[in-house]
Amino acid sequence: MSSMPGESSLPSNLRLPSNLVDPSRTKRPPPPADSSLPIIRTCDSSVPAHLSPLLTWVESLAAQQGDPVGLAQLHPDVFAVPSRLDILHQVEVWQRSYKRISYANTKVRSEVRGGGRKPWRQKGSGRARVGSIRSPLWRGGGVSHGPRGPTSYYYMLPMKVRVMGLKVALSSKLAQDYLYVVESLDLPTPDPQYILDLLRQRHWGQSLLIVDACDELPENLLQATANLKTVNIIPAIGLNVHSMLKHEAVVLTLAAVRFLESKLLWHDERYTPLYPFKMPYSDLP
Amino acid sequence: MSLIKKPGGKALDVLQNLPRITLANLRPEPGSKQKEKRRGRGQYGGNRSGRGHKGERQRGTRPRLGFEGGATPFYLIIPKYGYNEGHSRRPQYQPLSLKRLQYLIDVGRLDPSQPIDLTQLVNARGVTIQPQKRDFGVQLVDEGAELFSAKINIEVQRASEAAIAAVERNGGVLTNSFYDPISLAILIKPVPFFQRGQPIPKRMHPGEEMVPFYMDPCARGYLAPPEQVQQARLALAKKYGYVLPDLSRDELFHMLSSRKDPRQIFFGLSPGWVVNMADRKILKPTNEKLVQYYGS
Repeated sequence: MSSMPGESSLPSNLRLPSNLVDPSRTKRPPPPADSSLPIIRTCDSSVPAHLSPLLTWVESLAAQQGDPVGLAQLHPDVFAVPSRLDILHQVEVWQRSYKRISYANTKVRSEVRGGGRKPWRQKGSGRARVGSIRSPLWRGGGVSHGPRGPTSYYYMLPMKVRVMGLKVALSSKLAQDYLYVVESLDLPTPDPQYILDLLRQRHWGQSLLIVDACDELPENLLQATANLKTVNIIPAIGLNVHSMLKHEAVVLTLAAVRFLESKLLWHDERYTPLYPFKMPYSDLP
Repeated sequence: MSLIKKPGGKALDVLQNLPRITLANLRPEPGSKQKEKRRGRGQYGGNRSGRGHKGERQRGTRPRLGFEGGATPFYLIIPKYGYNEGHSRRPQYQPLSLKRLQYLIDVGRLDPSQPIDLTQLVNARGVTIQPQKRDFGVQLVDEGAELFSAKINIEVQRASEAAIAAVERNGGVLTNSFYDPISLAILIKPVPFFQRGQPIPKRMHPGEEMVPFYMDPCARGYLAPPEQVQQARLALAKKYGYVLPDLSRDELFHMLSSRKDPRQIFFGLSPGWVVNMADRKILKPTNEKLVQYYGS
């Protein structure tokens, strides 16, 4: 498929309508191998021999029209896994349902008020045999087979599927050029307009999710994003598939990249658990 | 793009030219979800909905399986016989082949320089034991006996004769020992037990019907007298035609001769001791009554 020249080779139902495309937003090519920029970050864990680390630009938020300040290597087992979009769907459905409680509840015939007396005698009246005015067949009667809430929709997706969901989400964001790596989150000003201008200048889209792994966030960033609904901050430990897909662009700091790689790659090499992970293990890496 | 090899395959290349993946265009794998069939809806709903005319077929009130319209059914004509009687209460022993054991040793998941018991086997992910499912331990099967070449001191619950021969041919030692379900649960997962902070209990003796097996020197039972076990080892060597290596002159003699007490669950830990994981300490009972209880 690498011979595909562009959008024209896609079938018509997959082509994006022209009115939905930001005309100035063009695909930014990945950095060339012989780039003069310094490689700021290399992968902590070893890359399998048949794969090569991915190169990406490292940017800075210090200026509106910031040129890349360097390059970063990303681990291919986190940022270039096969794009299993059905896993994304599974994780998204799970995220919506595992915390859902449906409070829908209807009354059955015994819970509807009244209806204890037999309306008319069993025989001789010429009418139907009836025992209660709250029968489900009657208007104002109980509901049969109605929802009997509250109902919990909790279930747990296997841990490996949840991990894979995160990897697929990160990979697809990177492949579609919606994932950006920044050096730090320092802004020159606490003005919210600065971030909005930055989004427009760099064609980062409508909404932005900023992921960081450190405890203390810069004060300027907190003030600037406090009242913005489209720019949100999430700690790397809370990164999830729903938030990533809800926002158009995702910005990772170098610390967040390191954190995510170490956490997600650990699942590739760990043994199967014998008892809960919170208890001490001597053999898990 | 041609410079960087795409590890995610061609799908990631296709993804570059597709619209952005959002919450609005997710879907399950096509064909993976099947819709429930709704009888009586749609074009052919109408009067009978494909269920035919009248009767049990239309109303779905068929009699139970095996009912033959009132005649004595087949399943009652044939008398019962207890082939499977008590099948839900029989002890089970998870199989572990010598081939797998050799593999675990070769890749370094088992350390042959230490005595191997169930804790080591479970930690190496060699077997999965579920005491609630009436698992009483592990049985050593002789698959791969000709490949087996490690010298080990292993403790299992059941072992075939050929497996015993394969272990002893290499100068190893095998013991069949019994663990009651509570001791077994402690043995396979020591850490959750130690975290509970309870004293290690005494291991129970086997039930009456299992005692002959565990006292049998040919089966290398842990209750068999050692002299008889030595004779049985020699007899087995004669039967299988190998020379039994002399253990007492072995450099690993100390490891190979280490045995658990019949009341002991872990090597080196006696019943009644408490293991404090947080402070990495072992607490031993001093009260005389306790010492007497756990010592007996």
